[in-house]
Amino acid sequence: MNLLTRKSLKRLFGTLAFFALAAVMTGGPGGFGVPAYTGVHASYLEPVSYFGLFRTQRWSIFLTLGILAWLIISLYQPHALTIRRRLEPVTALPNRVMQRRTNRWVLIGVVIVIALFLPKFVHEQFWMYLIVEQIGVWILLALGLNVVVGFAGLLDLGFAAFYAIGAYATAWFTGVLPTPAPFHHPIPTLWCIPIAVGLAMIFGILLGIPTLRLRGDYLAIVTLGFALIIDDFVGTQSGLTGGGEGSLTTPTFSMNVGFWHYHWGINPTPYYYLCFIFVVVFLIVFTSLEYSRVGRAWVAIREDEVAAQSIGINPLKYKVSAFAVGAASGGFGGVLTAGLIGNINPTLFQYQVSVNVLILVIFGGMGSIWGVAIGAIIVQFVTSYLDNYQPWGYQLNDLYMYIGALLIIMMIFRPAGILPSRRRQREISGYETEHEGHLDEVLAGDEP
Amino acid sequence: MSNDLLITVENVTLRFGGVVSLRDVSLEMRRGEILAVIGPNGAGKTSLFNSVTGVYQPQEGKITFSSQKAPPLSVIGKKTHRIARAGVTRTFQASRLFSALTVFENAKIGAEDHSGIGVVGALVKGPRTRRGEKESDRVASEVLKFVGLFPEAHTIASQLSYGARRRLEIARALATDPEVILLDEPAAGTNPSEKLELTTLIRRVRDERGVSVLLIEHDMRLVMALAERLYVLNFGSVIAEGTPEEIRANQDVVDAYLGTTHDETSA
Repeated sequence: MNLLTRKSLKRLFGTLAFFALAAVMTGGPGGFGVPAYTGVHASYLEPVSYFGLFRTQRWSIFLTLGILAWLIISLYQPHALTIRRRLEPVTALPNRVMQRRTNRWVLIGVVIVIALFLPKFVHEQFWMYLIVEQIGVWILLALGLNVVVGFAGLLDLGFAAFYAIGAYATAWFTGVLPTPAPFHHPIPTLWCIPIAVGLAMIFGILLGIPTLRLRGDYLAIVTLGFALIIDDFVGTQSGLTGGGEGSLTTPTFSMNVGFWHYHWGINPTPYYYLCFIFVVVFLIVFTSLEYSRVGRAWVAIREDEVAAQSIGINPLKYKVSAFAVGAASGGFGGVLTAGLIGNINPTLFQYQVSVNVLILVIFGGMGSIWGVAIGAIIVQFVTSYLDNYQPWGYQLNDLYMYIGALLIIMMIFRPAGILPSRRRQREISGYETEHEGHLDEVLAGDEP
Repeated sequence: MSNDLLITVENVTLRFGGVVSLRDVSLEMRRGEILAVIGPNGAGKTSLFNSVTGVYQPQEGKITFSSQKAPPLSVIGKKTHRIARAGVTRTFQASRLFSALTVFENAKIGAEDHSGIGVVGALVKGPRTRRGEKESDRVASEVLKFVGLFPEAHTIASQLSYGARRRLEIARALATDPEVILLDEPAAGTNPSEKLELTTLIRRVRDERGVSVLLIEHDMRLVMALAERLYVLNFGSVIAEGTPEEIRANQDVVDAYLGTTHDETSA
């Protein structure tokens, strides 16, 4: 193998350029009057040396990494085809295993058992909190947005609006906003669930009816505008919403049915189970929706609106219903957040929240309910871990840089997400399917 | 007998800005016939289809669809999905299947009742929903058998051959239980044997299911073999109407197709 060919050298420069960029971008922020061991400067001024010849540590590390990467690529490239073919049984295994219905149910069972006993293994309260607040709630949000973006194919950049509506409706009805509760009669947080979810749905429908005639980009911009309006409204209307300070503390969840009383209190574990139940409920609801008449109508609209109309589907109606269903789940996340963290304020519902939910959906696999749930767990867990432990000199501000890089890599290697929806994957790659089952099964429908 | 009229198009004019796409077009389609609309490219055939199915809204004239089950429907101004539900369905020039779905799902979507939203029904799965599911499964497999695609029910639509896609499109349209089906160049891009199959299929649609057929087609052999009556459009106007024999003998039609000056016909 010749490493000194023109092509090979070109690749060397490419790799080095990439690592140089990474070295600069992952370094400290630096700035005027900041010691020279941070930022871009650090790459050549830092006095610590590994090899004497090179003057700095970071610089030499990234150079070494670059050359190593280049060597690995150069060694791999000539055999890429053979290696890929040899590995095919292994790489295709997950898909093959998951195709059998029994295996799917076994996996779902295992996941449920693990989830049920999770609080037994996690001893730190802090992490239990994170699991509920940073993972559980976000699964709900991602599942909701998945209905809109994944099923119906409507790009919604303002999903945080429904989240905010759910949370602020809860705060309003429990009487912790400056404006008094309706009829001056605060109600328990748990009873806010149907109200907040209903309000979020109504807002979804009200926003949807005039705007869902728009297509693609235009709709995305309208939803973005809606989220900005809601964000601005809750942030500035101090007399109504408490402005930047937000609400007082929302009462925690409590249930009084006859003689049976239960208070969620401040321990996160009961919240975990509450959240778990709702995640399961939404998983079931959305799965049965996907394989129903409604789900098929959504796919039809997403694939070809004109053809869908020609067989009697009213696109507007189905789009609005997708919006409302998605909004419901968003509003739900809002109630849970309000009950869990007490003080809600505009920072929780900023534009970045909408983007983040969208990232979870894209990462997990648009239109794939399990993919989105798993994607949300992975991304949110890694994010929380990085935020709280800051390993390897990780900087808080760098988060979206890494997520951005992750998305770019995903789009190149796995554009349909980590656990792609079968329908979506066919759209993206044009096709793939194995004929399993007998024709009679067709009549029973596509899925359990 | 005016009672037998299925679709009447009266003095329809359709303009896009300054461009006149249909000029004072009148057309009568009787129940149970196979009617063809022919004409050179750009003559307004597809515009006529789009007007009848509510995709375009002509500025002048009147289009009436007389269903057997409901009072006559004035088409202009109605939404496409309303007209489709009333019993006018269509296929497209370039096939527009739901390519990520299976053949069976494609047909099933056509068979399903889309008048309610059904979110609640889908969740509760009550007896009505289940009955609906069963019924649309039955209709879907029945239409797939009719077009001969049932053995491929599991296949993803995008994997089908061109001819099979055409047949699936017809199956999907039939699944909506229409009274009339509008076929926009059903044989475009198919090979001779597929063309033959399609000809038989289209005739069976009418003979066995009693669905009237309105057809746009370029392939003259297919049109002449199938259609009982033809309308000829040129530059947005109807220039002739009659049986295949009459049309063949019509000098205006020959001119429209081959050029106005008779000397050039040899070119």
